[in-house]
Amino acid sequence: MKVLIIEDERILAEGITNHLVKEGFLCEVVHSYADAIPKIHLYQYDCIIIDINLPDGIGFDLIKALKTARSTAGIIVISARNAVEDKIKSLDLGSDDYLTKPFHLPELNARIKSIMRRRNYGGANEIEFEEIRINYNARKVFVYSSEVALSKKEYDLLMYFLANKDIALTKASMAEHLWGENADMVDSFDVLYSHVKNLRKKLTEKGARDYIQTIYGIGYKFSKN
Amino acid sequence: MKLQTFTNLNYILVSAFIYAIVAVSFYLAVEHVIYDEVDTRLLVEKSDFENFVDRHGYSETSFYFVEDKLDVNPASAPSPVVFTDTILQHRYDARSVPFRQVSFDKEIGGKLYRVSIRKSLIESNHLLSVITIVMLVVLCAGLSLLNWFQQRSSKRLWKPFYDALSKAQEFNIHHGDKLTLPPQKIYEFNELNSALNKMTEKIIGDYQNLKEFTENASHEIQTPLALINSRVEGLIQDSSISGKHVRWIQDIHESALRLSKLNQALLLLAKIDNGQYQAAEAVDLNKVLHKHLDKMEELFSLRSIQVSIDKNEPFNAMINPSLADILVSNLLNNAVKHNLRNSGFIAISVAKNKLTVVNTGLPLTVEPSKLFERFQKQNASTGSLGLGLAIVKKICEISQLGLQYHYDDGLHTISVTKSVVAATDEYLTSTYNISIQ
Repeated sequence: MKVLIIEDERILAEGITNHLVKEGFLCEVVHSYADAIPKIHLYQYDCIIIDINLPDGIGFDLIKALKTARSTAGIIVISARNAVEDKIKSLDLGSDDYLTKPFHLPELNARIKSIMRRRNYGGANEIEFEEIRINYNARKVFVYSSEVALSKKEYDLLMYFLANKDIALTKASMAEHLWGENADMVDSFDVLYSHVKNLRKKLTEKGARDYIQTIYGIGYKFSKN
Repeated sequence: MKLQTFTNLNYILVSAFIYAIVAVSFYLAVEHVIYDEVDTRLLVEKSDFENFVDRHGYSETSFYFVEDKLDVNPASAPSPVVFTDTILQHRYDARSVPFRQVSFDKEIGGKLYRVSIRKSLIESNHLLSVITIVMLVVLCAGLSLLNWFQQRSSKRLWKPFYDALSKAQEFNIHHGDKLTLPPQKIYEFNELNSALNKMTEKIIGDYQNLKEFTENASHEIQTPLALINSRVEGLIQDSSISGKHVRWIQDIHESALRLSKLNQALLLLAKIDNGQYQAAEAVDLNKVLHKHLDKMEELFSLRSIQVSIDKNEPFNAMINPSLADILVSNLLNNAVKHNLRNSGFIAISVAKNKLTVVNTGLPLTVEPSKLFERFQKQNASTGSLGLGLAIVKKICEISQLGLQYHYDDGLHTISVTKSVVAATDEYLTSTYNISIQ
């Protein structure tokens, strides 16, 4: 899966690349508007990550260019602008998602995968992980073909885990994924903890192995090992 | 007092005073002229009398026609010529008539006589009073006319000033329009207008710069924070890091996140201040409330907080929808954050004009009057930013909503009311009312 990252902050671009490469994405990075233009016209990408504020241009124009070129790539806008108008504008222009800086890398990863799923990348509508199978069109979860009844938040949590396998997930990033940007909800970590506990219980009750590892002081990791 | 009223009053007082002086001195001058005239004529008559007596001698009868006007009495010792005023009875009726007399000595037939010649002042006095009255009437009319004219002309004269004043009063920095006052013929007003024009242009410019600066600074802060977070998240994935360092990294991570939240909250306050959320529409706060209650349900049950809704009516307020969301969510978060650990409850009531959130909790450690200020934290150790209620207050301010806080016996009550002045009777005793204009 090919991803183009258009981000002028080299360190941030590198951080994103490192993270996505680990997830098996093929990443290309450009740091300016001028460099981005030929790339988006010459090559096909599955997903393009665009920073709105570029030193020599504005990311909105890149979205327009992509749409005029009838690109099928998924577009995720990342921006330090938290203004609602910017969010609406980029979505109106045809981007698929919008993330405000600073964001969690696992969140970006999950968003990319979600876009890929929505575009039916690979033609499947199911994810499998060992004995766990998820039909994400019907939002149903099976362990050894017997259905597990999960609440909405538990389902979201499981999807987040599966999008970020083998990655240490911080509690903050998980809370933000579940409750959005205004996750400054009091004790959201406590709620998160109870959700993780329930999810773990529901999966193991149906005979799944316990893949959710607790990392002391940080959060959780969903891993086979 | 208006400048015009003041100057008019001053003008009237001063002119009345001056006219009084003028009137008095005019009266005195006319009187003096009349006396002068009468005295001259008396002296002429004195000479006539002396010539007559010298030529024909004196006899009572020869001067009968001037009876009462001539008085001749023997005198013992010589005295100088004197002019005096005197009042005599009229010959036929009892009227007192003012006279002017000159008294002098005259030798008639070797004997010394004191002679007084008189002249009636009645015509002169009449003349004097007529002159005085006419003068007073004319002066009064003149004064009123002048005053009327002066009022009219000063009204016209000051019109540009009052125009500029009312425009300056209407000036609103949030609208971003500088004053454009027209040039004036009068130098001072022209200067005033151009000064106001320049000043508001500068204010608007500076304000714009400040707004941009606040926003840009905040964006610039977000980028390095994003860098820190991406690096720290990278580090977290590194399994070679030992336990102690993991904790340090976690601390860095949390602090960076907190900083970013703080930055976002301050940016929100700045944006509200800058009037970037002025687009208000009718929002039913009750609906917003229920949306948030649904979202927070799991939190309530986790903290075993009982939530009850006493009154459930629509509360339509003119407010920006995003701000309505933030307002309600902050109120609810606050009620959860400062609730009791166990066995707490939240009682919510929404009436047509009032939204009340009551929650159990420990007594305040900060002063109630400072509760809604920035960075006033009930408990420093909680992860609270101390900005939630400051944002609530700011939102109420710009949405013309009233905000009250009241504490009584373990119950914290925060009410948002539709009308700013709506004082809540039941809380009058110990309610802290935040005055919001």
